[in-house]
Amino acid sequence: MRSLWWKILCMILMVYAIVAGMLFPLSPATHYIDVSSGETGKALTFNVFGYNTNYSQSKKPIRAWLKKGKDFYLCASDVKVVSDRQLTTTFQIPEKIADNPQSVNLMLIVDSEADGHSVLPGAVTIKQTASNASMASSCQVDYLEEENQGITFPFRNILEETIRSLYYHVPLWFAMMIFLLTSMIYSIMYLVKMNIRYSIIASEFARVGVLFGILGLVTGMMWAKHTWGAYWNWDIRQNTAAIQVLIYLAYFILRDSFDDMEKKARIGAVYNIFAFATVIPLMFVIPRLSSSLHPGTGGNPALGSNDLDNTMRMVFYPAIIGFTLLGVWITSLFTRLQLVKMKYLDTDEFED
Amino acid sequence: MYFCTNMNLVNEIIELLKKELLLEWRQRSAISGIFLYVFSTIFVIFSTFITVQGKTWNALFWIVILFASVNAVAKSFLQENNARQLYYYTLANPIAIILSKMIYNTILLFIIGLMAFGTFGLLVGNPVKDVGLFLTTLLLSSAGLSITFTFISAISIKANNSATLMVILSFPVVLPIIMTLLKLSANSLRLIQDTGYRDDLIILIAIDAILISVAVILFPFLWKD
Repeated sequence: MRSLWWKILCMILMVYAIVAGMLFPLSPATHYIDVSSGETGKALTFNVFGYNTNYSQSKKPIRAWLKKGKDFYLCASDVKVVSDRQLTTTFQIPEKIADNPQSVNLMLIVDSEADGHSVLPGAVTIKQTASNASMASSCQVDYLEEENQGITFPFRNILEETIRSLYYHVPLWFAMMIFLLTSMIYSIMYLVKMNIRYSIIASEFARVGVLFGILGLVTGMMWAKHTWGAYWNWDIRQNTAAIQVLIYLAYFILRDSFDDMEKKARIGAVYNIFAFATVIPLMFVIPRLSSSLHPGTGGNPALGSNDLDNTMRMVFYPAIIGFTLLGVWITSLFTRLQLVKMKYLDTDEFED
Repeated sequence: MYFCTNMNLVNEIIELLKKELLLEWRQRSAISGIFLYVFSTIFVIFSTFITVQGKTWNALFWIVILFASVNAVAKSFLQENNARQLYYYTLANPIAIILSKMIYNTILLFIIGLMAFGTFGLLVGNPVKDVGLFLTTLLLSSAGLSITFTFISAISIKANNSATLMVILSFPVVLPIIMTLLKLSANSLRLIQDTGYRDDLIILIAIDAILISVAVILFPFLWKD
């Protein structure tokens, strides 16, 4: 506890997580287009809006395709650069692109020399009118530009800039689970050794765990407002997280309802261990079995390879360590404060 | 050290169960009060709702069960004063005491559940399609609620404002059980079609097993003052 190195490490990691997490740009991508549907046999002209793109700096002409299924491409007849972030593209939609009259969902691919290629899934819906024309042939795609090689975070269409929340929202939960586990371990140690110091450490770890849990809920709600449209979506993981915070708030009320230090410590420790036994199914079993908006349902790991790329890992893992060390630091201060308080209150030297 | 004589423990549990039944018989007003509580709650609910669909039926049924359970179980430690409890602990193994109370409350909650099920069926009809699954869920949830509430009532009896404490300590802790059983129950009402309900049953059994083992390990630390 006395040594300083981990506090310095904590500050370095936190500063790194905040600076790197906030300052690295998102990779150039196709953000949105200004039409949503078209018809077969007609020309379709729309504006393409890019995100962090540099269309006018591209030395080669910019190309664009609409893609159906696995291997049907439709070449753009005309691509005009309006500005760095805007293109005007025209497609001649052929008479027939699907066998039966139906709506066909097409994906837009834009390829520019400056930014690499980027994809907008589900860009337009083309209504296939009944037609006797023969099936249109696919356009050839010879090559695609490499994606930008600079240090960037991936652009995801719903997430946009909020992808950075990953470095603050998720580590808070990781750190919280570590603290609650530690709190439970100290509760066991209290019951075995009956040393009041362990009880105080256990309760302070739980306190910081709840603090991180509430921060996790708040950051999660802000993120949910942007991506899912509402602060609270009654998502299973949101519910279980809120319940878990309630469990530990009840733990503090239980502790506060005893005046006797020994009784407070003993019964608090018993409830802490019992509560942790319910936290395990609450956090790790039930959310994975129900459908959720969060990643990590239906038996998947919480963060699959699709959710994290290597650049994000470079910030995400240090952020977890940073937040955990920060919490341990806060806990150690709280614990010392409690011990000092207890010392003065016991000896009646300090009363107000 | 408590398990040195296993037969002894079983005998003690049986004797304590008899004692619980005898006490319940002598204080018939307490148990009648709980049954009346269930009936009046159900009547209040259906005077306001009149007709309910499957989804609402499911939610209301378990809410009635939850509140009736917390009231039924809360008295298991509250009804006996501290001096008498201390006397029990000198006579019997504490583990036998907590286990007998848990078993007794499981039976009690299962009976309350069956009664509520019957009353619901009588008043608003029975939307349950898979009665076997529903009753299994009811039994497993009675066990889960009984274990949690009995243990939490043993904790809250130590504090002064035990009635409030009982609810705020036990409701969040019992929610994993509620979430699992609501899913199972929705399945038995065919509100959702899920062939993987066996997993949920196993989870419910696993939660029950974890809670009972933690409770048995921790109870010796709890009772002695």
